[in-house]
Amino acid sequence: MSRVEAELRDAPRQSAWPVRRPGYRRFVRRSPVTVIGAGLVLAVVLVAIVAQIIAPYGPNSQDAQPLLRPDRRHLAGTDELGRDELSRLIYGARVSLYVGGLAVSIALACGATSGVLAGFYGGWVDNVTMRIMDVLFSFPAIVLAIAITSILRPSLTNAMIAIGIVYAPIFARIARGPTLAVVTLAYIEAARAVGLPNWKIMLRHVVPNVSAPLIVQTTVSLSTAILTEAALSFLGLGTQPPTASWGLMLSAARQYMLLDPWIAVLPGAAIALTVLGFNLLGDGLRDLLDPRIRTL
Amino acid sequence: MRYLVRRLLWTLAALLGVSLLIFVLVRLIPGTIIEVITGTEGQLSPQQRLDLLRSFGLDRPLPVQYALWLWNMLQGNLGWSFRTSQPVAGLLVSRLPITVELAVLTVICVTLIGLPLGVAASITRSVRLKTFVQIIGLVGLSVPNFWAGIVLIIVASFAFHWFPALIFVTPWQDLPVNLEQMSLPVLSLALGLAAVVLRMTRSSMLEVLGQDYVRVAQAKGLSHSIVLLRHALRNALIPIVTVLGLQMGTLLGGVVITEQIFGLPGLGWTLLNGVYQRDYPVVQGAVMLFAVLFVLTNLFVDLTYTYLDPRIRYQ
Repeated sequence: MSRVEAELRDAPRQSAWPVRRPGYRRFVRRSPVTVIGAGLVLAVVLVAIVAQIIAPYGPNSQDAQPLLRPDRRHLAGTDELGRDELSRLIYGARVSLYVGGLAVSIALACGATSGVLAGFYGGWVDNVTMRIMDVLFSFPAIVLAIAITSILRPSLTNAMIAIGIVYAPIFARIARGPTLAVVTLAYIEAARAVGLPNWKIMLRHVVPNVSAPLIVQTTVSLSTAILTEAALSFLGLGTQPPTASWGLMLSAARQYMLLDPWIAVLPGAAIALTVLGFNLLGDGLRDLLDPRIRTL
Repeated sequence: MRYLVRRLLWTLAALLGVSLLIFVLVRLIPGTIIEVITGTEGQLSPQQRLDLLRSFGLDRPLPVQYALWLWNMLQGNLGWSFRTSQPVAGLLVSRLPITVELAVLTVICVTLIGLPLGVAASITRSVRLKTFVQIIGLVGLSVPNFWAGIVLIIVASFAFHWFPALIFVTPWQDLPVNLEQMSLPVLSLALGLAAVVLRMTRSSMLEVLGQDYVRVAQAKGLSHSIVLLRHALRNALIPIVTVLGLQMGTLLGGVVITEQIFGLPGLGWTLLNGVYQRDYPVVQGAVMLFAVLFVLTNLFVDLTYTYLDPRIRYQ
């Protein structure tokens, strides 16, 4: 096929991810679920930011009897060391968002970069990168995260690194596909002809055109990263005591769950609500930014 | 056939990569393995250290170590546990059935919950049922399985005064007791996966039900259930199986945590105990086995496509 024919065939779709301008108001009305999701996420973020102001006690201050039932002084009761459960839940939002956010940033930075590079250069770069990602994909995510944290020694930072590594391949795959489509388009050729260096072409012309699916995946990954952090901390391989982390609180409460179900139920509910928020928001963003991929 | 061979070769290559990654990871352990084993940093004379290194084959170049490790593994030798000196392979093989039982029961449970609810949601006119299914789908996606496990234990003991036996019983010893013990772990694992299957079933069914051939089948007077099962569901199954396959990683990962919560001495439990005791041969073997299980289930899922949809003939 000649160059011209190929061009003609590609002519109708200028970019792999068309930028639509949907009516946001109509969207809000049509998809109240997304708004609920955004609200939940916003609420958790706010709670994390103003934790110091709204928490009635310090996250680690032991000034009450252990395992108190909820009452007026301790709205959610106290944990097994006499710390105020509500305050720890509030501070826990910080840890979850911090670890989740940084882990996803690591995954996005490593994954998207290698995905775009692989798609842009093709050939052996593509082959090597994607085979490495395939190997990382051959592990159940949490098992690989457990292996990495156990080898790096359990800590908050290492949990973050582990989660980042484990979720990088998803971003690589998601970035690579549209990049492959974009690099064949005329405007990339034009940029080359003008003499732009490769890194500039990637940054200015490729990345903006493959960012929509990446944004969606980032939101969805935040929910999985928060879940994974909670799971690792629950297993004692993530955040270490006495830091207030929802997974850790849940794991400590496990021993007392039949004595005091409150402290075993509340941290889990906090995790579930946060994850739900990110899931709903992710679903909504997917519909908004990328109408072609239907919700699973 | 050619596809099958290629797919198998590809699986082998992936497993080779996996083994290399695990090998490299274990070499990254801070401090040499000798200090980890003896726990006596600085108390060994250089000669003792050297002898120990030699006895573990750790004085050889890394590529040789890797080749030896791989060769031993292929012969079913995964090394010996640091703690109990038991052969790791034997230990893992003895734990495997529990994990497999848990996983298989979960997949059955997921199918039994997810498929019918998804199909129901796709054909019903009842708003209440639709909302109910949607809520189950969202809740299932967001609830961490370890929390589901804890809540199930609390509910079972408080509301039903039901405490399954604590000591694990194999199905060969006593099937009813075993199933009773498995019920809560399976349920806690199945909830999240069922939500995924349910959502996929619903959207996939909705898409298929709008197709012309379904209308033709209805028009020629086939009974409703035949149209639904033979024409619609069969074609809707492919994306459902895909999603189920993608969730195998979640399932196998969930198994680790669930076994820990419910004290089921399976593969995940063994892995975690290895991690807690810094028993690296056990960790290494268990992680490898998890990867093998994962890769094999993915292979199995890929092969079922060709069965479900004869049109799929991979080049």
